[in-house]
Amino acid sequence: MLKAAARLLQRWTQATVTPEPERLDVTLDAADLVPAVAALQEARWGYLAAITGVDLGPEAGEIELLYHFCAGAAVVTLRVRTPRNQAFVPSICDSVPSASFYERELMEMLGVTVANTPNTDRLFLPDDWPQEVYPLRKDFRLEDAPLPGSDT
Amino acid sequence: MEFNKTWQDMLEQLKTWARVNSPWAIHFNSGSCNGCDIEILATLTPRYDMERFGLKLQGSPRHADVLICTGPVTRQARDRLIRIYEQMPDPKFVIAVGSCALSGGAFQGCYNILGGIDQVLPVDVYVPGCPPRPEAIIDGVVKLLEQLKAGYQPAARRSGVLRPVPVPVTDAG
Amino acid sequence: MTAEREPFRIPIGPQHPSLKEPGHFEFSVDGEIVTQASLRLGYVHRGIEKGAEQRSWVQALYLLERVCGICSHVHATAYCLGVEKLAGVEAPPRAQAIRSLVAELERIHSHLLWLGVAAHEAGFDMLFMHSWRDRETVMNLLEGITGNRVNYSANLLGGVKCDIDQRLADAIRAGLDYLEERTQHYLDVVLNDALFLRRTRGIGVMSREDAERLGVVGPTARASGVARDVRVDAPYAAYRTLPVQIVTEMAGDLQARFIVRVRELFETYRLIRTLLDTLPEGELTVRIPRRIPPGEAISRVEAPRGELFYYLKSNGSDQPERIKIRTPTLPNFASVLVLTVGRQLADVPMILAGIDPCFSCNDRMVAIHDTGEGRDRRWTWEQLRQHGIEVYR
Ligand code: SF4
Repeated sequence: MLKAAARLLQRWTQATVTPEPERLDVTLDAADLVPAVAALQEARWGYLAAITGVDLGPEAGEIELLYHFCAGAAVVTLRVRTPRNQAFVPSICDSVPSASFYERELMEMLGVTVANTPNTDRLFLPDDWPQEVYPLRKDFRLEDAPLPGSDT
Repeated sequence: MEFNKTWQDMLEQLKTWARVNSPWAIHFNSGSCNGCDIEILATLTPRYDMERFGLKLQGSPRHADVLICTGPVTRQARDRLIRIYEQMPDPKFVIAVGSCALSGGAFQGCYNILGGIDQVLPVDVYVPGCPPRPEAIIDGVVKLLEQLKAGYQPAARRSGVLRPVPVPVTDAG
Repeated sequence: MTAEREPFRIPIGPQHPSLKEPGHFEFSVDGEIVTQASLRLGYVHRGIEKGAEQRSWVQALYLLERVCGICSHVHATAYCLGVEKLAGVEAPPRAQAIRSLVAELERIHSHLLWLGVAAHEAGFDMLFMHSWRDRETVMNLLEGITGNRVNYSANLLGGVKCDIDQRLADAIRAGLDYLEERTQHYLDVVLNDALFLRRTRGIGVMSREDAERLGVVGPTARASGVARDVRVDAPYAAYRTLPVQIVTEMAGDLQARFIVRVRELFETYRLIRTLLDTLPEGELTVRIPRRIPPGEAISRVEAPRGELFYYLKSNGSDQPERIKIRTPTLPNFASVLVLTVGRQLADVPMILAGIDPCFSCNDRMVAIHDTGEGRDRRWTWEQLRQHGIEVYR
């Protein structure tokens, strides 16, 4: 399974790692994400299990996005990096409609702009959550989001 | 005048009697992990059968005397919680079920948590446990009913500080 | 009013507890037919992923166990397996077997719970009471093993903290015998009861293609003929030596989802008996360092509702760097949004219940907002449910 995936993704691959026997991590350029995902979908390789956003911290200045695809025991992770101050990735909802939830999560939790995603509403955070405060970023502090209704 | 007073007293007594014998409750989850909720539901089922105390869980806040709250209060749920409370007719009572509802429990310090129910509403009965056993929940309800019989006024009416009614956890196995 | 009539917008929510967050659905309807659906979560969003980053590895275990009170054990298992992978240790075989055993007991409790709740949504409270009464049998067993009815905390990093002795094993066997008999009865109800069939057969059909495309997991996928089960696909804990039979149905409708779950119970009973018979001897825990070596791990386990996905990242300190949780309900929610479109409004409660979003106990307000006529009506979930029951009377 992993070999098949490696072959499908070959064109866009920048580096690959196999951290565990049944895993394959493929580093991609953010611009190649859409065709790479489409290639996996077209070949009916697995399903999107999750999109994880990891803030690498203010020093590294980057956010890493991990697109996990599972097929049986095999897990392929597409790794994409984007600068922290201008986090931006294209949406993969065209080929994977169920990605919409994860992309909404990325937008509100990490402040990643997802271009062309069908729904940009908040998914988890409350309506009165301050704009431009992203809880999953490493430099988030509780004080950034004052608790409402401390008068009650 | 004299007659009038007794008449009012009797009405009061009648109301208390009715309230004690058929309290209707609404359950609201303001951010719980579900553990408490399933235990509350379990109290309705044949083994525990809370309805033998006349307590009925039903859907609308406008019919409810008792608000059973579970979970810490999340930012998003806070307004709903207050709205539901305000829709309830007076006198109304609040039972906080579970460690989370008491203090925020395991979720203290998370960014979306305001803390326990008493940060938002006046609470009459606290039932600790994570989750409390159904017996403890029933005990909490019964304690409230007993207090009512003894002329207890809802926490909301007593001005200023709240006086919690602690409910001991039953001997969990 | 213009010729372009504005559709009714019906928000369902905000409250119904799901695995991690309760959702707020909004349905647009044309007459009785749903034309559009969207979802807003967050009423029970507690910020657990962030909270876990601020706690130590051990503390995070107890926090993550409280992601969901219904399937707390699988969360803890997924987390422990992931951390053990990172630390390069493996829990002893006896611990693995007990983990799987508790997980299977939890599956029984969860499926029975769901059967009751789904029956309640269909207006079949009798079945609700029956299945919850029987569920108490499992709760007793779980309490006997772990000391708590919910949030058992059976797992430790590097093992488990409870053992199974002869007395417990006998009690479990006796409990299973009783449950097996009852489950036979439930299967009978699900297959033959006229009321049930009217509410379930041919409703909320999801084709195999859709199921694969939407990435649905667990019994919802298996009811559409997609044989997807982490216990088989990527065995973990004791399942590596214990083959699991996948139960699938082809119909893809609500009834199939019922049948799959009830049939799965039989498989679960078999698994538990086998586990008890072959329980390996030995230690319950291994030592695990306080600081976890840097690295990343992905850990997948099969929760009662489907695949639970954990991504763990360690930076070598005593606190996790990042934990990502993908609960099974999230992809299944996506299917609800698709499935309800074109269906009767009255079917919505059942379709929602069909994916088992921990649909337990709350009042859910349903606001019918008719922008066209400027009316604003609110329904409670209860009324919508009643509506469903009346339509099918
Ligand atoms: S008290 Fe425990 S069981 Fe209850 S909601 Fe909180 S974490 Fe869940």
